[in-house]
Amino acid sequence: MRFSLLLHLLPVAALTFSACANKNKSDRPFGGTTDSDSVSGMALNGSALPERQEGVSFLGNNVDRNRFSPIYFGYDSYTVSPSDSGKIRQIADHLRGGSGTIILAGFTDERGTPEYNRGLGERRALAVRQAVVEAGGNASRIQTVSFGAELPADTGSGESAWAKNRRTEIGVVR
Amino acid sequence: MKNLLACVFLASGSLLGAAEPPTITISKSDKLSIGLGALPAEVASVLQNDLLRSGYFKVVPAASAGAGFVVSATGGAGGLLGKVEDRGGKSVLSKTYSGNSRAQAHEFADEIVETLTGNRGFASTKLAFVATRTGKKEIYTADSDGSNLTQLTQDGSISVGPALSPDGRTLAYTGYKSGYADIYQILLGSGARSRIIKFPGTNSGAAYSPEGNRLAVTLSKDGNPELYVTSAGGGSPRRLTRTPGVESSPTWSPDGEEIIYSYVDKGGPQLYRISASGGSPRALSTGHGYNTEPNWSPDGKKVAFNIREGGGFAVAILDLASSETRTVGSGQDPVWGADSRHLVFASGGSLILLDAQTGQRTTLLGGLGAISEPAWSR
Repeated sequence: MRFSLLLHLLPVAALTFSACANKNKSDRPFGGTTDSDSVSGMALNGSALPERQEGVSFLGNNVDRNRFSPIYFGYDSYTVSPSDSGKIRQIADHLRGGSGTIILAGFTDERGTPEYNRGLGERRALAVRQAVVEAGGNASRIQTVSFGAELPADTGSGESAWAKNRRTEIGVVR
Repeated sequence: MKNLLACVFLASGSLLGAAEPPTITISKSDKLSIGLGALPAEVASVLQNDLLRSGYFKVVPAASAGAGFVVSATGGAGGLLGKVEDRGGKSVLSKTYSGNSRAQAHEFADEIVETLTGNRGFASTKLAFVATRTGKKEIYTADSDGSNLTQLTQDGSISVGPALSPDGRTLAYTGYKSGYADIYQILLGSGARSRIIKFPGTNSGAAYSPEGNRLAVTLSKDGNPELYVTSAGGGSPRRLTRTPGVESSPTWSPDGEEIIYSYVDKGGPQLYRISASGGSPRALSTGHGYNTEPNWSPDGKKVAFNIREGGGFAVAILDLASSETRTVGSGQDPVWGADSRHLVFASGGSLILLDAQTGQRTTLLGGLGAISEPAWSR
């Protein structure tokens, strides 16, 4: 029952999200249009990703993974904490100057099943993308990738390791 | 119960091409007694294992009065001539099987299952899975009994999420060789490999439709992980969902009309059901807070999926008609076999076969590092 209720609320949630994401637009009334334009415009992370730069790998030598420290997440969450706004602003500033691109790589802890983790990791990367774009970063210079629970920052188990693994890393393409 | 037993024997005894498979539940004690007669040595043990693994039979001496049917075969240049006779000596199956001796035995076993029970067998099917034997995650394939183990990829990066086409001839997987998550396709006959889906963002979770001509996938190219349906070659993506959260692990209904998947936004992941042509998704209530990696049975009646339990994962089965969910033990990433009775999943780094009807657990493969994410052809 709770789940079917949740589903009925989804369009409303989408519109609410839309209202939050597009601060400059006037709010649409609930029950208003739900055509594809209004829905795809519901969130900044509803904007298409730019074409890939082939030959540039997040794991390769041409990407600097240490320029910015990672953004960390709560358990099963992809919400960027307001306390990370300073970090987000630095990334946005980097994208405003120069002409480089960044790759946002999302990761999870080991406490999820594999494909779920890959989806959650990508959502974490896209949540950081949205925050960076809201802070003035250029969306056309941001790529994303999810590694799920692979490549943990801390190979241990337990909350202190897991907390380090629930992250989005920022790779600066050299 | 007596009536049910009568149905078993009627159904198995009629053998009229089994118009409708019997829908009764066969418990452990209802196994059909089958006698093994003369068999070529290279076929005998494979065939016997297949028949036992099917869950439908107990094997008794051919001369035993309790043998309801007797299986025999003769090898030759023309292939394996397999025969099944009832206790009156009347032929109920007589057919020649070609291919190597293992393939002959598997095909014969499947036809015995189908002839005597009206249900599909899985002896001739293929498994694919991820293992870390080399220190990297690579894709491996094996026969349904764990034999013919082959390391399929040597990417040396991260190769995960294998999917087998229903005919077992094509495999799709998520590979990170480019540094991004792309979907690759391998034609198992020739070994020819191509990168078929390489949109910006993460491309993952490929699942073949029952006809094998479409893939359901999770793509983030439009700015959020959403479900799409593409051609089997990865072309013409058509978007199914528009949500703020994450869709993952699509699995097809047997008629190819619907897809079940896991969705997470706020709170734990839940199962949803949507038309394969799009529209409004519908939630499937399971009574669990974490529901991932669903797999729809070929008979369309059940969904196996993962729940969290006791700090690890358990396999649960949702019966779609009754909406009842039961758990069948610890394990990850369950997939149904062609018989809609057995599940294969990973547990403790090994590959496990479970008879969901009797609860019998068999280890198919181990010793390959950690095994995960099995796929099973139908």
